[in-house]
Formats: sequence, C-alpha cells, structure tokens
Amino acid sequence: MRLDSWKILLPIAVALLAIPFAVACGDDDSDEPFRIGVMESATGPGETYGTVAIQAKELAVEEINAAGGINGRMIELIVEDSKCSAQDAITAYNKLTDVDGVKIILGTSCSGAMLGAAPLAEKDGVVMFSGLATNPDIAEAGDYIFRTSLNDAQLGVDTGNLLWEDGVRKLATISESTDYAEGVRRTTAGQFESLGGEIVGEERYASDATDFRTSLTKLFSENPDALHIAAQAEFAGGTIVKQARELGYEGPIYSEIVVVGATALEIAGEAATGLKAVITDIDPANEKGQEVLASFREKYDYVTLPWYLASAYDTVYITAACLEETNDDQDADGFRDCLYEITWSGGIGDNYSFDERGEVVGLANVVVEVLPVSERNEDNNGYQVLGPAPIK
Amino acid sequence: MTTLPQTLREWPRADIERVATVFVLGWAVAFMLWQGTGFTVTLMTVFAIWAILAVSLNLVVGFTGLLSVGHIGFFGIGAYTMAILASDASYDQLRTEAIPTPGWPFFAALPIAVALAGLVALGVGIVFNRFRDDIFVLVSFGFAIIAFSFFLNLREITRGAFGIHEIPRPAFGSWVLDGEVEFLVFALICLALVVLVCWLIVTSSFGRVLTAIREDEEAIAVFGYRVTHFKLAVWVLSAMMAGLAGALFASWTSFIDPNSFILLESMLLIAIVILGGLATIWGSLLGAMAFVLLEEGMRFLPFLPAEFVGQARQVVLGVLLVLLMLFRPQGLVGRYKL
Repeated sequence: MRLDSWKILLPIAVALLAIPFAVACGDDDSDEPFRIGVMESATGPGETYGTVAIQAKELAVEEINAAGGINGRMIELIVEDSKCSAQDAITAYNKLTDVDGVKIILGTSCSGAMLGAAPLAEKDGVVMFSGLATNPDIAEAGDYIFRTSLNDAQLGVDTGNLLWEDGVRKLATISESTDYAEGVRRTTAGQFESLGGEIVGEERYASDATDFRTSLTKLFSENPDALHIAAQAEFAGGTIVKQARELGYEGPIYSEIVVVGATALEIAGEAATGLKAVITDIDPANEKGQEVLASFREKYDYVTLPWYLASAYDTVYITAACLEETNDDQDADGFRDCLYEITWSGGIGDNYSFDERGEVVGLANVVVEVLPVSERNEDNNGYQVLGPAPIK
Repeated sequence: MTTLPQTLREWPRADIERVATVFVLGWAVAFMLWQGTGFTVTLMTVFAIWAILAVSLNLVVGFTGLLSVGHIGFFGIGAYTMAILASDASYDQLRTEAIPTPGWPFFAALPIAVALAGLVALGVGIVFNRFRDDIFVLVSFGFAIIAFSFFLNLREITRGAFGIHEIPRPAFGSWVLDGEVEFLVFALICLALVVLVCWLIVTSSFGRVLTAIREDEEAIAVFGYRVTHFKLAVWVLSAMMAGLAGALFASWTSFIDPNSFILLESMLLIAIVILGGLATIWGSLLGAMAFVLLEEGMRFLPFLPAEFVGQARQVVLGVLLVLLMLFRPQGLVGRYKL
C-alpha cells in the first residue's frame, strides 16, 4: 500500500518541482532580448481593462519585433497578474524584479495596484509606466512613476464645466464605490459647486449591485436638472441608464468613459441616446490612432475602450524609443530621464510629454454624445465627438 | 484494484501526514532555492500573514467547531486601525479626500488594532453566541459583509474606495524595519507568538473544553461548563490574532483599500484551514504554505499566452484545491472533517 501511494505522489511532486526548472531552462536565450515587465489586472474587477492592455502591448511588441526589434534586439514582455489589489501587485512586482530582474514595468491598469507597488518601485529605482491608472494620488507617487492616462481630477473638472455650460444648475449624482468612480464624482461635484451649481442628491452603489431603481427614484424626487453617473463597471453603468429611462426620467444624463463603452451601450440600448460623456478619445483625424485600432481589430477581432487600448500600445512604443536611446533594459535611471525628455506622437495624440511628476501633458478630454442605436457602428463606437471639453 | 482515493483514505494517517509535510516543505525549499532570495522573502511574508490568520481561524473552526466566514472582518479592522492611526499625515499632497491621521508610531497603534478587533469581536460575539451550525455561518457571513460595507462607505474615517496610503513600517527608535528581510523576521516572530499562544490554549484544560464543545455542546454543558463563555473567549482571542495579522498586512503593503477585505478572502482563508487540516496548528501552517506556493507558484507556469496567464493560474489553483479536497477531505494533516 505504501509503495503504491509513493508511486502516485512521486510523479506529482516531480512535476511540481520541475516547473521552476522548465522556466529556468527557457531563460537561456542567446538573442538577449530587452526584458520588460508588464503588470495588469488579468483577473478580478479590472479584468476588462487589463486584458485589453495586455493584448495591445503584445500587438505593439509583435510589430516592433517584426520590424527588426530595437538596435537589433527583440523585446520580451513578462506578464504578471496584479489584479486590482495592493498585495497581488506587490507579489507580482517582487516576482518581476527579483526573479526576472526587470527594471522597467509597464502597468498597472488598476490604481489600487499601482499605489500598492509604487512605493517599492520608488525605493528600488524601478520605472513603473502605466497606460491606464487614473487615480489623482498617483501624481505624487514618485520620481519613477509615469503614466499616459489622464488624471481623474481633470476629468471631473471638465465634466463640472460641461454641466455648467449646458445650463445645469441642480445635479443628482450616482456613483460606484470604487476609487475611480468616487474620484470622478468628487471632482465633478467640486467643480460644479465651485461654479455655483447645487448637488441635490448623491447615491452610491456597491460594485456587485444590479438594481438601481430605489436610488434613482430617490434622486429623481429632488427634480434635478441632470443626472451624473460615475461607474467603474460597464454593466452597472449601462443598467443605470436603462433603469433611469424606465422610471420615466427624461432629463439629460452625463457620464464618463465607462458608460459609453461597448457593453454599457449594448445594455442601455436606445435609453443611452443623447447621453453626454467627457472622455479621452482618439481623434478621428489621428491616422496613427486609427491604424492602431484597425490592427487591434484585425488581430483580436474586436475593439473596446479604444483610447485605453491605444494608450497601452503607446507605452510600448515609447519604451522602445527610450530603449533605443539607452540600449540597456537595466538602466532605469536612463529610461526615466528619457521619459522626462521625450515628446511623443502616437495612437492617443500628437506631441504629448511628461511633466516633473510623471503626469502626461498635451492631451485633453473631449465631449461625446451617444448616437441613436440605428447609427451606432464599429467605426464610431456608438457616439459622436462634439468637441474638446470646455475650460472655465 | 484500488482507486487513488481509496488508496489515500486507507493509507495510515501518520504516514500520509509525514509525506504531506515533507512534500510541502520540500516544495517550499526547492521553490525558494530556484527563485532566489528576494521573491522568497515576499512569499514568506505573505505566508506569515496568512498563517497567523489560518492558525487563529482554526481555533474557532477546527478546535471549537464554529464555522466562521467573518474572520476577514477582524483582519480588516486590524488593518484599518493601523492605517488610520499610523499613516503619514501628508495628505496635503493627495488630490483625493483627506482624513485626519494622528501619525502614531507602529508600536503605539498595534495594541489598539489588536484590542479593537477583540472589542468588536466581543460585541458581535455576545449576539452570535445565540447561534449554532448553519445559522452561525450565515450570521458570520453577514458580519463580513457589514465590515466590508463600513470600510467602503465610512469615507470620513477610511477614505472609502480611495484607500489609505503611507502606512509606516515598524520602528524601534531610529531603527525602521523598512527592509523586506527585517519585516519578514518581525512577521515570523509575530507568527511564532501566535502559534505559542494557540498551542498553550489547545493543550490546556480550556482547549479540551473547546474540543468537547465541538464534539457535543449539550454534553459538556451538562457537566456545568458555561459553554457560551468558552465560545466567546476563543472567538475574541481569535479575532485579536486576526487584528494583529491585519496590522502587519497594512504595514507591509503600506496601502490598503476595501478590496483586500472582500468575502472571497474569507473563503480562501477557510480553504487554507481545511487544506491544512482542522484542529491542528501545524496543519494551518502547512495549509498556508501550500496555498501560497500553489498561488504564487502558478506564476511560473510556462508556455501560456500572456493574456491567459492570470486566468490559468486561478483555474489550475481551483482544480488542485478540488483534487486535494477530493482525496483528502480532512486536509493534509487534519484529524476531522468539516
């Protein structure tokens, strides 16, 4: 009996122990590619963004490698799942830096994960370069922390300005209890109130909520001029729009990028028509941006969150440009200095750069309006761009 | 011909425990040797925190027979207390909501974190003592949900979804344990203290009463033992240890938000306790080690497309846990089934 059991357990033990060997054996690559870490939310609440970001980065790397690489060397991405949690971000970060020895990490998509790993990166002198994290606090995370994504605070200010300019004076808000959505709500309300507007109702919902009728009914009883939605998940954002119209609300609805995502618009259907949102969007006249979307669609057969997709894509090309200059994937300081100095034109816009806090400058939000269902298609993503966000 | 489950069930317990122990420890050592010091230190720190949680939960679930899924709430209370009391009050720099933070040193906040977790446990325990079995599971479930809601919605104190930054590391005077190895040593010392306290509890007459409560609550009451007092005492002690783990966690990550204290984490914790084995301290340590190795070891699964790495980890982890439960429902070194 004992012998039989050993026969069963021994192969399992050998197989498990062999995993690190298999990886170690695979490390012996005579081409010596530039090794770049990637931390994204491959699972968990930020999976939608994380998966798109990983795919966009892989697309960019494929293109760069197919064109001969950088100074004759290929780029190799080492992808780790940081979920949306500080703990997972720390373990992913330590795996990338200690085991894989990377000094440049592209990510993360979730601000919570970014804020968890950023202090370590700052201490270790490792560059973290995100295309998606938008929490305003990241601006102060350190000298090695950069992002191409726009700060939520700017989004809120732009939305507050838009509301005021559209003649809204009494506003009701409903927001998801996440750092992103709560940040957008807070800055929107702050800017709106600073202009003289009044917040007549505030409701918040948990990320797993599916029925918003009670909250909406309460908000509409205050007779607001407009409803503002700040959502993290497209499902909830689309459902709120749908249920608001089902309750007979006919006033204007304002929101941000999530509620004009493909899934949200599909759920909301005709109820979303006329909804205005302040978003980061790819300029239709930006040829590079359109090329990126076309390449992505060709490779993966879908497109969602186009701006964020292109933002993640751009981070790889910017990385390639800086590696071409430093020619050393271990030179984090050189890479950081390059980021401070670079001016880039890519998928998300032309001539943007990074300020002394690693924040992107030269990009702006735009106002979009959702089209009727009959006019929505893959090319217009379901909305039309009305113009740049108003400045007060 | 005997099947694999039959073989494992019929195997002498002492032998299979020995094999499980050697297997997990051997796997841990091999993993650490291959992956280098830095990542090992991280994994060991995660292990120490999860092990404190697992050992403390085993006191309630394994030794006393109260299946609680609310342990993550006490973990969160410890973490948030540490964060609120000790975080750097440099919120002027932050663009999001500010909260008042007294900026206490780690060791001043630590006893408060542990005590507050115990106090809350005392409060809810007085109510929970009325319930048993399935109903107890449900009310503890309710506690986990309520605790999470507080962390998320009590924005004036917890900063809600924004989380709390700049939580300091332990410091002895000017000596700050900001190195990863130093923090690991400190976490392991805390784990050793928790294990010692648990061992003293379970080997004492108090521990024998707990075991008797698990086996037959009415019978032990007949002998004059005030069962509710014993249950309440172990519940509070266990919560205090979870509070300690939470405080360590907050200090280690330096940033916490409500996502770290969701119900799923409680489920993983129960999986660790059952994986290691009920009513055995060593089992909880082994379970925590096996869990960390399984979860983090999956990062090294080769030959997977990058966008599926995360999902593959979770699928493989889930399948392995199911297989282990199928073949060893009492856990690696457990004595009882749930």
